[in-house]
Amino acid sequence: MLKLIFLLFFVFSTFILTSNDIKIESERIIRINLGDYINLQFEIVGITPELKNEIEKKTNQRFFKDFVYKWNIIKHSKQIATAYVDNVYGKTQPITFLVIINNEGEIVTTEILKYREQYGGQVKNKNWLDQFNGKDLNSEIEVGKNIHSISGATISVNSVTTGVKKILFLHAELIKVE
Amino acid sequence: MFSNFRNLTILTILTTNFLFAQSDQFFESKSSFSGYGELHYNQNQKEKESASKTLDFHRFVMFFGYSWTEKWSFKSEIELEHNFVQKGEGELELEQAYVNYHHADWFGFQVGVVLPSVGLINEYHEPPLFFGVERPDYHNKIIPTTWFGNGMAFYGTYNFFDYKLTIMEGLNSDKFSESSGIRNGRLKGFKANAKNLLYNLRIDYLGVAGLKIGGSYTFNKATGETSTNKISLLEFHSAYHQRNFYSVFEIGNISYEKGNLESSFGYYFDIGYNISDAFNCDTKIIPFFRYSDYNTAAKTKTGGDSEKKNHFTYWMIGLSVKPIPQIVFKLDYGTSTKELGNEKTKLFNLGIGYMF
Repeated sequence: MLKLIFLLFFVFSTFILTSNDIKIESERIIRINLGDYINLQFEIVGITPELKNEIEKKTNQRFFKDFVYKWNIIKHSKQIATAYVDNVYGKTQPITFLVIINNEGEIVTTEILKYREQYGGQVKNKNWLDQFNGKDLNSEIEVGKNIHSISGATISVNSVTTGVKKILFLHAELIKVE
Repeated sequence: MFSNFRNLTILTILTTNFLFAQSDQFFESKSSFSGYGELHYNQNQKEKESASKTLDFHRFVMFFGYSWTEKWSFKSEIELEHNFVQKGEGELELEQAYVNYHHADWFGFQVGVVLPSVGLINEYHEPPLFFGVERPDYHNKIIPTTWFGNGMAFYGTYNFFDYKLTIMEGLNSDKFSESSGIRNGRLKGFKANAKNLLYNLRIDYLGVAGLKIGGSYTFNKATGETSTNKISLLEFHSAYHQRNFYSVFEIGNISYEKGNLESSFGYYFDIGYNISDAFNCDTKIIPFFRYSDYNTAAKTKTGGDSEKKNHFTYWMIGLSVKPIPQIVFKLDYGTSTKELGNEKTKLFNLGIGYMF
């Protein structure tokens, strides 16, 4: 009986620990960047086909799904920032990334949550990702101009850069609706 | 009996749970298909001779892959060189085919036909990724790109360091030569001799945005039917890209234990600058300059002419035009000089390349 309880506990704990690791990791990073005294409101935001189409045309990149993860970040009952999790394709596998945007529409931080391949993993590099900090929808965000490329990670560099741009477009539209 | 059944149920729950835990919301099991290719026009003219002109679909390459889970996948690369294969002309090669286990960022492994990590181009050889219509001569004469073989590789990234350790089939020492170094000693996975394996370790530092700098060491006790020869290849490489500026530098040396040939040595550097801002267009227009110096017989026991016969210096100017990052139009012009007799060859190349 004891064995059974132990096993059940084990089963349960592994489930808790691993089923939502992307969400947990996202919230951990949000707190590192914006402090512990914040409330996080999580939602899964659907993207309408019209909006999807419009942003895909502007950026020449498809959305991974017709939804993204979104957190409203609240401090002293006022929203201070918004965070998104989305995916872009690397060479063959999805790259899961997080973008935090402040109320001025500027990027506070970008992080790769999960990279699933051997090649191109250099985009996880914090120094490379920091290049997006402070950029907003009106900024020029282009690989080879103001975003460095990385030798050996060209595909990932281009996909992540466009993915971040897509989130800026999406954020601007979602704010309008609100 | 009941107890057995119960245990079985628990085990099933455990295993299924384990499987669930491994996947996550975004991963989808799927097959992938991609490729690259390049068509070249090459014109070579030696002094006082008429020019040779060729039009060559140099490489047509297809990648097939399948991902079963987030961690387990298969990847392959099949290459057809020079349009067709017949009577020793053209090449059809299985350059990569491996099962990949990606445990985490810091550790993964591949088993099958793998690429040793030597220099910047052996693993990343799609045409939009390097300057010049043909791959740099350094990647033919010193590093025998594309170098692949049967074996396994371990890889990962930790902090700003990226590593890959490859253990694979060795080289055939009978085929080493003063004019092409170790190049003809590659077994290319064809019923490869597994007696003396080749070890290759590469470490890169990626702590500065836009910079990749690192080196690799390769060691093999090469074995042929009539000879053995220990070789070691040490190389350093760097690539830097900041705003519109590009630079590449690679240098490498091969040491041989036996025979007349003692070492092969070479280097090259590229400097390029994207001038598309001046034309206010999205198409990248990158003129570049390359200088290279290589000698497959850099040091021999007998010395003299054989060292000079295989020593070339080559300067080149060229242009890469990329309307989108995956398509490139290239042209280059330069002079290659053989040390012996100061023999000069003028080379002019045009090319188009793509990747997807």
